Amino acid sequence: MKKVLLFIMAFSVLLFTGCSENYGENTSETTSQQSEELSDATRDFFAMDTYMNLTAYGKNADEAVDQAQKRVEELDKLLSTGEKNSEVSLLNKNRKAKLSEETFSLTEQSLYFYKLTDKAFDPAIYPIMKLWGFTDHNYKVPDTNSIKSTLKYIDASKISIDKKTSTVILDGEGMEVDFGGIAKGYTSSQIIEIFKSCGIKSGKVNLGGNVHLLGKKQDGSDWSIGIQNPNSTDDFLGILKASDTAVITSGGYERNFEENGTVYHHIIDPSTGYPANNGLTSVTIISQNGTLADALSTSLFVMGTEKAQDFWKNSKEDFEIILYTDDDKVIISKGIADKFTTSFDLTVIDKVN
Amino acid sequence: MNKKDLILIGAVLLAALLGFLFFNTDKDKGSTVVITLDGNQYGTYPISTDKTITVKSENGINTVVIKSGEVYMQDADCPDKYCVDKGHISKVNDTIICLPHKLVVEIKDTDNQPPEVDEVVK
Repeated sequence: MKKVLLFIMAFSVLLFTGCSENYGENTSETTSQQSEELSDATRDFFAMDTYMNLTAYGKNADEAVDQAQKRVEELDKLLSTGEKNSEVSLLNKNRKAKLSEETFSLTEQSLYFYKLTDKAFDPAIYPIMKLWGFTDHNYKVPDTNSIKSTLKYIDASKISIDKKTSTVILDGEGMEVDFGGIAKGYTSSQIIEIFKSCGIKSGKVNLGGNVHLLGKKQDGSDWSIGIQNPNSTDDFLGILKASDTAVITSGGYERNFEENGTVYHHIIDPSTGYPANNGLTSVTIISQNGTLADALSTSLFVMGTEKAQDFWKNSKEDFEIILYTDDDKVIISKGIADKFTTSFDLTVIDKVN
Repeated sequence: MNKKDLILIGAVLLAALLGFLFFNTDKDKGSTVVITLDGNQYGTYPISTDKTITVKSENGINTVVIKSGEVYMQDADCPDKYCVDKGHISKVNDTIICLPHKLVVEIKDTDNQPPEVDEVVK
């Protein structure tokens, strides 16, 4: 009887190691992985009007997510338009402010993207967002006259910056800025830098659907990133294999309201003052630069199907795109062609030589 | 063990084998048509949606047709027309190759990939 028991025990050990081998090539690797897994750290919290999840693997993981969360909360305090005494609120109120390094840098980057996207990205969009009620969830369709009169405040070319004194001036009455279009991308990039400085080699950050990856998964493989299908929460638009990059999507499905049977979403075209309606349902940008990915996901959505493709084809910036059109087609850039799987009608585009 | 036992064992094995073959073939039906031109992905299309794809390149023109869950090369201006002669394909890893035009039509199975992901972007 004892022999039988011993045999069963030995066999179950074999079974157990057999299962573990899915995670590592051999037992020694499995062991080291288990010890690493013990020091994993994950943190969930609300900030910047979204739900955030930070995960770091390996030694110092706890300290890394701790520091990262503090950083997010600092940035939130600086950038929140909802907080009366945030730097952004004070800038909007006084139309002139001496800013912290972070807020100044975000202003500079916003202006860079304003020029890069030929005004499709505009940090001075705030007054029109207020008019539509997207800032306080008090949604309403404005009449054409108020849109027309508010549009004249939307002009980032009237933002002047002085690097020496770290001062920003909004040179026009009624002007207000909002860095919401790049804040989360900037923040996820900052978190990745904090992870790196703590010696973390593998980690992931999800800021309300904006994903930023550090390194590969612990087993050395790429992360599997599901891109949500805007028309159905049950399946994905596709699955992207990725590592060391930000993956950020913008679409009208994220925040919108319905009035008299028409859906109005929150991505306002700065040139018209109305929700952008140029053939795209969602835009996903893949780039190591989280700020760029965030800015371009919004602005390529505003540009629309044709212009967005041309923009990528002619751009010198390092990023890849996944466009989902209103007529259910998926268009991706060549750099991710062998990393993206989808059952949708797919077209791969290439750079202009 | 008598003769009846042997027959029973034989019948069970046969049923298992048939079942295996049956399910196996069923699984081999592909879900996605992948077209590659000169080594670069040209496009992917669901096999369930009827569609005609005209692939134009400096090498020539191919007309790929997806119909009733099958794929075939309807027409091509290549000299040998082997791709057109290949007929209909529908199973995973089946291919139609037009060598002169460096065009490959391949059937893949993306449906059977586990939908498990590490993160979801929205």
